[in-house]
Amino acid sequence: MSAQPGTIASSAIIQEQRSRRDALDERLFRWLLMGCALLVLASLLGAAGATLWGGREAFAKFGWHFLVSTAWDPGNDVYGALVPVYGTIATSLIALLIAVPVSFGIALYLSEVAPPWLRTPVSSAIELLAGIPSIIYGMWGLFIFAPFFADHIKPWLTNNLGDKPDDGKLSWVVQHVPFIGKLFGSDYPFGASILVAGIVLAIMIIPFISSVMREVFQTVPTRLKESAYALGSSTWEVSWDIVLPYTRSAVIGGIFLGLGRALGETMAVTFVLGNAMTLSASLLDPGTSIAATIANQFSEASGLQKSSLMALAFLLFVVTFIVLLIARLMLRQLKLKEGR
Amino acid sequence: MNDSAATMNQGPVATPQATTSAGAPKLTVRDLHFYYNGFHALKGINMDIPEKKVTAIIGPSGCGKSTLLRIFNRIYAIYPKLEAKGEIVLDGENILDPRYSMNRLRSKVGMVFQKPVPFPMTIFENVAYGIRHHEKLSKTDMTIRVEQALRSAALWDEVKDKLKQNALGLSGGQQQRLCIARAIALKPEVLLLDEPTSALDPIATGRIEQLVEELKNEFTIVIVTHNMQQAARCSDQTAFMYMGELIEFSGTEKIFTKPGKKQTEDYITGRFG
Repeated sequence: MSAQPGTIASSAIIQEQRSRRDALDERLFRWLLMGCALLVLASLLGAAGATLWGGREAFAKFGWHFLVSTAWDPGNDVYGALVPVYGTIATSLIALLIAVPVSFGIALYLSEVAPPWLRTPVSSAIELLAGIPSIIYGMWGLFIFAPFFADHIKPWLTNNLGDKPDDGKLSWVVQHVPFIGKLFGSDYPFGASILVAGIVLAIMIIPFISSVMREVFQTVPTRLKESAYALGSSTWEVSWDIVLPYTRSAVIGGIFLGLGRALGETMAVTFVLGNAMTLSASLLDPGTSIAATIANQFSEASGLQKSSLMALAFLLFVVTFIVLLIARLMLRQLKLKEGR
Repeated sequence: MNDSAATMNQGPVATPQATTSAGAPKLTVRDLHFYYNGFHALKGINMDIPEKKVTAIIGPSGCGKSTLLRIFNRIYAIYPKLEAKGEIVLDGENILDPRYSMNRLRSKVGMVFQKPVPFPMTIFENVAYGIRHHEKLSKTDMTIRVEQALRSAALWDEVKDKLKQNALGLSGGQQQRLCIARAIALKPEVLLLDEPTSALDPIATGRIEQLVEELKNEFTIVIVTHNMQQAARCSDQTAFMYMGELIEFSGTEKIFTKPGKKQTEDYITGRFG
């Protein structure tokens, strides 16, 4: 109980030591965090650098021609990236075209319309869908969806929208709408095609996009929605005019997350894309994508072919980068329009 | 003060109320019950809300005053499992009748909420948004309407040079006046204010109260407030609610000077609530 000068002095020393140790810990902790963040940057640069380095032979040999050439001929050792790049972009765009509206509908239903007892089971189902390995989607696409598509959907498309119908008679739509005949004209008998790959990709990315959308829709303040309802808005108007603009950047983020996955998806696409190294305007013809080409050929490639595959991988980086850049620009443009 | 419109409620047992005021009431509430998931939140409310007057509803938290306000434009109906029984008559028609068009109701009854909630758009669009839903106007007419609404809300001078800027850049008080402009732009007949100043500083509150005073020349105003001074300052009639019942409803001066019920007196003198 009595005052002990010695204890006070020693506790002052302990405090001094402790604060010095804290300062050191703090510094170490900061370095550690920075290291983690830099690791991301390093692996990105490393991967991009490695593929660029691996593809240097192809780039040196073909130059810019590599980007616009449709040749892929291991026999004569001539390679061009246009077919796989086109296939990657076309399948991903089709996937987005289908997945974005559907996901928007799912997310709006779950956050605005669905009765509470239905929300949890449907949301869990979406998360489960997101967890299915892509090989399973690929198998389903190859064994079930592609044959079904070839038997039931494709004939209708080619006969009504394509320029190569079975009976040779062009439909009214084909005669009056430019390009559509080319898009849906095909005499390839099987299902595997750009369109089927796009549809399978859409099914794969819907869970991602819709769960991001659902989560951000739930962050919209109730009072904001109520004030729109109080002005007489319908559920659709509240969703489109209030919920969507309020969550816009996160929604675009979610869409590009899905697009990123679609661009790089390998297994599922390899199964249903047909793996043909030919460029066709028709969505019903087979094609290939960057990821599918690499997956199919890497094990047997060597020399210039291997270098061309590396160069393809680098191009995938570039495509993804451009996509992200477009997303950023879009966001900035929208912000300007909003008057911020 | 306008004591002639004073009426007194007899408690939970519903008795049709006599209107003693000279003018016909704008809104008549008859034996109104409200249920939240089965919880009986309003128990037989009867009241006559006079036209072009400010009617304040006061009472402790949870007494049902906001609930009552939210029935006047049926905003509660966007949520499941809420149920209102009884009648609210607006200009001779029961607005609780499911056949009463929601669109028509919301163009006749405007609402301003507790916290300022500008839409994520420009200042101009915030006001034009509601109008566009109900009327097709040319660009010139729309500009005029938006200006009128902003002027009536005493906001025009502050925002006329930045109509194209995002409304989120305004101060809290300005945002709340923008919300009032947005509501009155539809030219409603009744304006519901749900604790409109609870998130504002005293100066902004003063401006809103002044605005309420001006707006009552054009609109029938019902204001829910936590702040008894506010009710005393800017209302003509005051209703005191407690535990889902309307305890007393009469002229504001009477309520605050000679309350007719013990509960009212206890509340306004700060003995509970």
